[in-house]
Amino acid sequence: MKKRMRIGFIMVALLALILAACTNSDPGAAPEKSGSGTDDGDKKSEAAVNDEGKVEIEFWHAMSGSGQESLDSIVEGFNESQGDYTVKAEFQGSYEELLTKLRSIGGTKDAPAIMQVFEIGTKYMIDSGYIEPMQKFIDEDGYDLEQLEENILNYYRVDGELYSMPFNSSTPVMLYNKDAFKEAGLDPEKAPETFADVIDTAAKLKTDDMYGFSMLTYGWFFEELVATQGGLYVNEENGRSGDATEAVFNGAEGLNVFRFLNEMNKAGTFGNFGTNWDDIRAAFSSGKVAMYMDSSAGVANAINSSPFEVGVAYIPHADEVERQGVIIGGASLWMSKGIADEEQKAAWEFMKYLTTPEVQAQWHLDTGYFAINPDAYEEDIVKEKWDEYPQFQVTVDQLQDTKPSIATQGALISVFPESRQQIVTALENLYQGADPQKVLDEAAEGTNRAIEIANKTKQ
Amino acid sequence: MSTIHSRPDEFIATEHKPGVWERSRRARTAILYLLPSIILFSVFVFYPMFRTIYLSFFLTDQAGDAAVFVGLDNYKYLLDSPAFLNSAKATLLFVLYTVPAGILLSLFLALLANEKLRGIGFFRTIYSSTMGVSVAASSVVWLFMFHPSIGMFNRFLALFDFPQIQWLLDPQWALVSVAISTIWMNTGFSFLILLGGLQNIDEHLYESARIDGAGYFYRLRRITLPMLSPTLFFIITISLINAFQTFGQIDILTKGGPAQSTNLIVYSIYREAFVNYQFGTASAQAVFLFLCILVATILQFRFGERRVHYQ
Repeated sequence: MKKRMRIGFIMVALLALILAACTNSDPGAAPEKSGSGTDDGDKKSEAAVNDEGKVEIEFWHAMSGSGQESLDSIVEGFNESQGDYTVKAEFQGSYEELLTKLRSIGGTKDAPAIMQVFEIGTKYMIDSGYIEPMQKFIDEDGYDLEQLEENILNYYRVDGELYSMPFNSSTPVMLYNKDAFKEAGLDPEKAPETFADVIDTAAKLKTDDMYGFSMLTYGWFFEELVATQGGLYVNEENGRSGDATEAVFNGAEGLNVFRFLNEMNKAGTFGNFGTNWDDIRAAFSSGKVAMYMDSSAGVANAINSSPFEVGVAYIPHADEVERQGVIIGGASLWMSKGIADEEQKAAWEFMKYLTTPEVQAQWHLDTGYFAINPDAYEEDIVKEKWDEYPQFQVTVDQLQDTKPSIATQGALISVFPESRQQIVTALENLYQGADPQKVLDEAAEGTNRAIEIANKTKQ
Repeated sequence: MSTIHSRPDEFIATEHKPGVWERSRRARTAILYLLPSIILFSVFVFYPMFRTIYLSFFLTDQAGDAAVFVGLDNYKYLLDSPAFLNSAKATLLFVLYTVPAGILLSLFLALLANEKLRGIGFFRTIYSSTMGVSVAASSVVWLFMFHPSIGMFNRFLALFDFPQIQWLLDPQWALVSVAISTIWMNTGFSFLILLGGLQNIDEHLYESARIDGAGYFYRLRRITLPMLSPTLFFIITISLINAFQTFGQIDILTKGGPAQSTNLIVYSIYREAFVNYQFGTASAQAVFLFLCILVATILQFRFGERRVHYQ
């Protein structure tokens, strides 16, 4: 009896071993796979052609809600505007989820022709080998980049080459409750500009029911507040002159930001509404906080859902420095490598269509994202809307006032999502009363480890 | 047994030694019958498990493939990392908050619903109804109730002039808040299982006890609990494992925050693997969690099962 059981065990163990052996061969098989992938690239696979004889390409995006509606109508407009290509827009979940799916089929012929990837995935996409740089098509086609917004292009330009086509771009702004300003005896047309001003104003605005200032606990706002002082996020010129090896955001500029927040938190004028966009927006429109930082893409919604007058201002900066401006946030569109030439051509035509002033004007009005083609702002529908909501003008002015520099170009690291998580933890600890320098150093340490692993495993 | 033993004797008598093939016939038949489940388990349980253990010795590259062999470094890093120790501590606390309270609550409800009263079916349905609500849906509802500005709980506190509580934003409260919602979510299932156990207890036992003049609590202690012990043991084991593996409500309610106070191990594995793409350290955490659950379950079977009374 026992013997038989033992034989049974041995057989199960053998099976397990065979499976484990398969596991071992996996990494070995991976280069082979990518090898055949480049073969496909050389031979060029057949373009997918649909029933009507049009070249059909997929477009993966992460836009939900009004963004998705607007995007679907733009895609439809493109499909009707010409007879050679059909674009199929497919929603793939959040930016993170899209990227996870992309990892499994990137670089193969099954990959979508166009993918929308968030700005902090830029470095990852360049390193991945899944993509064809946009510059190639721009040069081949003689496309005039001058017509696009310089400050947006700057972010996506690496070593003088444009790798992806900017698409939905936003920047942070400070929104404030004009009625609360009036009640506190402040000038509602003059928003505070420096950290000290904000601290001062927040103290005056604070009532029993209302906090003076708040900021979503999210790494992006920290990055922006550092950049507007001219501070860098990582070394190697923000990762733009070479692979970054170390975080530098725990320097003087980063500390300024943490002290600024800490001072208001200690004084009880800072409201902490957590990490959820909806919560902080609800807090503002229900009058629980008088000033807060939001994305420029959230301005329209804030104006519409608030029962009071909403003011829009530039983000604050440290007192001792000059304002440098903002880094572009949002996402850009990437072109797949290893798909058929015809499909790439279709994708390129679609991207050109996207950047026309008419389409950009529609996109800007539907979603509140910037028009990457500034000519869009001259379109009549935009002018009308701006007359109605002069606040939109501020967001565009802030972007165009930005001084191009390495700081405002934004950092390039492949481990940005992890680093942002470190900042979130640091901010949460700060609000619990921890020392600003200490929590910043911890966040920098965590980022350093992530960078180190990424550099070690990069082939 | 005797028939099995007698067979080799017969072979010896005829001076014929059976070969391995002959002797393993029964084992082979058994394996054949087991094959479907062995294949299924291998593909969906054993293979991922071995793959996880394998990956835990590596650093992975951007595509998630094993790139640099680091031996036990991932484990060393974890045991030194304050963030991971904090996760382990939060997980333990979470288990302590949810398992005993959840089981006591559902036992209490099950005892109530076990009484034969008119319309008791209505209460039985209500008490077990949380089983029909998905974790995602109920988490969203709880999210609204915990909301700092428009949430029900804070409005309720304001009615009585109590100070407002930042349910999900205060590190002191966040884990408790998630635990409360988890207890609520799990009550339905535990309640149903326990009620089933109670209904199975032989009515005669109570009858004889009543004749002997035993009071309610005496009957509860001497008849109900011992007779219910197999069910209780089952539900404790399941709840414990479930609590260790909690993910959905964390993802929706707190995303591991504030200040990592609700970053339970499973959530931390998810973050490490699918946000940071560090499959190596994520796998090491998964192996650690597996060992913890294994030890907890073994301990429970060793010490807990002694008190279980099987009929």
